[in-house]
Amino acid sequence: MDVLRVENLSVSFYRPEGEIEAVKNVSFSLGEGEILAIMGESGCGKSVLCKSILKLLPDIAKRKAGGIFIRGEEITDYSEKQMQKLRGSFFSMVFQNPMTALHPCLSVGAQIGEAVRLRQPHLTPGERKRRVEELMELAGLEHPGACARQYPFQLSGGMAQRCVIAIALAAEPAVLFADEATTALDVTVQSQILELFLKLRKKTGMSIVLVTHNPGVAARAADRAALMKEGELTRIGDVEEIFEEIKHHQNFISCG
Amino acid sequence: MKKSNIIRILYHAGSFLLSVFALSVLVFTISRLAPRDPLYAYYGERVEKMSVEEQEQARERLGLNASVPVQYMRWLACALHGDFGISYQYKTDVKEVLAARVGNTLLLGGMSFALIFVLALWLGLFCAWREERLTDRLICRIGTVTSCIPEFWLSLLFILLFAVWLGWLPGSGAYSVGKEGSAADRAVHLILPLTVVVLGHLWYYAFQVRNRLLEEVRADYVLLARMKGLSGKQVLRRHCLRSTMPSYLSMMAVAFPHILGGTYVVELVFSYPGIGTLAYESARYKDYNLLMVISLLTGITVIFCNMLAQGINERLDPRMRAQSKVGRGEAGGV
Repeated sequence: MDVLRVENLSVSFYRPEGEIEAVKNVSFSLGEGEILAIMGESGCGKSVLCKSILKLLPDIAKRKAGGIFIRGEEITDYSEKQMQKLRGSFFSMVFQNPMTALHPCLSVGAQIGEAVRLRQPHLTPGERKRRVEELMELAGLEHPGACARQYPFQLSGGMAQRCVIAIALAAEPAVLFADEATTALDVTVQSQILELFLKLRKKTGMSIVLVTHNPGVAARAADRAALMKEGELTRIGDVEEIFEEIKHHQNFISCG
Repeated sequence: MKKSNIIRILYHAGSFLLSVFALSVLVFTISRLAPRDPLYAYYGERVEKMSVEEQEQARERLGLNASVPVQYMRWLACALHGDFGISYQYKTDVKEVLAARVGNTLLLGGMSFALIFVLALWLGLFCAWREERLTDRLICRIGTVTSCIPEFWLSLLFILLFAVWLGWLPGSGAYSVGKEGSAADRAVHLILPLTVVVLGHLWYYAFQVRNRLLEEVRADYVLLARMKGLSGKQVLRRHCLRSTMPSYLSMMAVAFPHILGGTYVVELVFSYPGIGTLAYESARYKDYNLLMVISLLTGITVIFCNMLAQGINERLDPRMRAQSKVGRGEAGGV
């Protein structure tokens, strides 16, 4: 059974100037342990699609039509309270810029600890601390004990992103959204983070939605890829197939 | 104690003393530039009947005939020994005059400050939570109006309404005659001036809290916090408030003398026997020694609160803490 299925989802922003259709009639499904790359230019609606599944969009955005299912159960009309439970356990998300995604005034240990506490409220402070270090190790951070005491501004971009990943892992999610998670990082760190995603998928069996505008990222990590353009999912399929198509398209443009 | 800490404390103490010294020179000089003879404060209308020689003798006795720098040096020498001179108007030691009043002002100012501190935070948080909904907009409108009304006018309005027309509350003084020891009586006298001071200042600070929180709500870390499974309200309280707290505390440290200054005006209108009324009288009657002490006391509060604000920011914000360490050459390998 698919871990996540989206059917004919349409989302619009209602501004004083009028309605802006950000996501139009999008359908896709995500298998257990699968990595799906959603590709497209900036502004094509990739992020809005993810956030609308998680119901994290601002009030001016409304779902117009469509349904969202997790493991066959419909969550389209879930209340904020029900979604809150899902966000801390079933879904997790990694963001583009780890430096702004982490709270500037709290140590990273405290921030990961909060996520652990929400997921496993019964843990004693000592157990929680051990769990935080375990998660940091899982996210590939060396010396987790010392690192947990650091503040975000004291970390490099790669380390900060690993902390964000540790927070995401605290939820023990079935589906992880990685919204341009490697874009703000330099190339070597980018590939390390991608390796980490592959390793984590193997270890935990979670499914990953990899949102990116970089075809290279998708090619390295994804099983399937989806192309998005102006709010519509124009193509979904095997990574190789999609890439052939992109290459063809680019050749076509360059031959002009 | 670490050497760097000692240097830091010495540095702060030095800049504090220097600021107080500069303030005392300034107040001393400016007060002597103002017209009207200080002998009026001491002798009242009798000055007009005194001969020129008698006036000279009086000046000599009060130390007013020397040049301003000499007068200042004399004042400074005495002040360093804890002698601030006598009040020309009350003809007793200025410390005694002040001691009788300072409690009243601290009570009014302190309670206003505590109320404003708590209410501004609560109101700001509430408005940020209800952003752009009806309650938020209503509170914003009412707040803007109340903070624009001058305090002396609001005081007069309240006196007219609650003391004269309705007769519910006393409109002047700090206690009824003969009931000096009664806490209930003092509390009743505090209600009107307290309300005016709080209404005059509250919205400014609440609005700052609201806007700072709304900036924070749009920050990326809010999304991450919500992904952990926190509700919008929890994120506001636990995360957004945490990052606005250093600036709020330092803002409130600076606000303390500001609010105290607000009570000076209100004291005057309510004939509340505090430092404010005294400051006004001393400036009006050229009661030099009293004016000096009040100005210095107020100035010291301002300088102290400013330093406190800076200290709070450095303590609470890890980024500033690291920066000040780098500045002092203590940064570890980060």
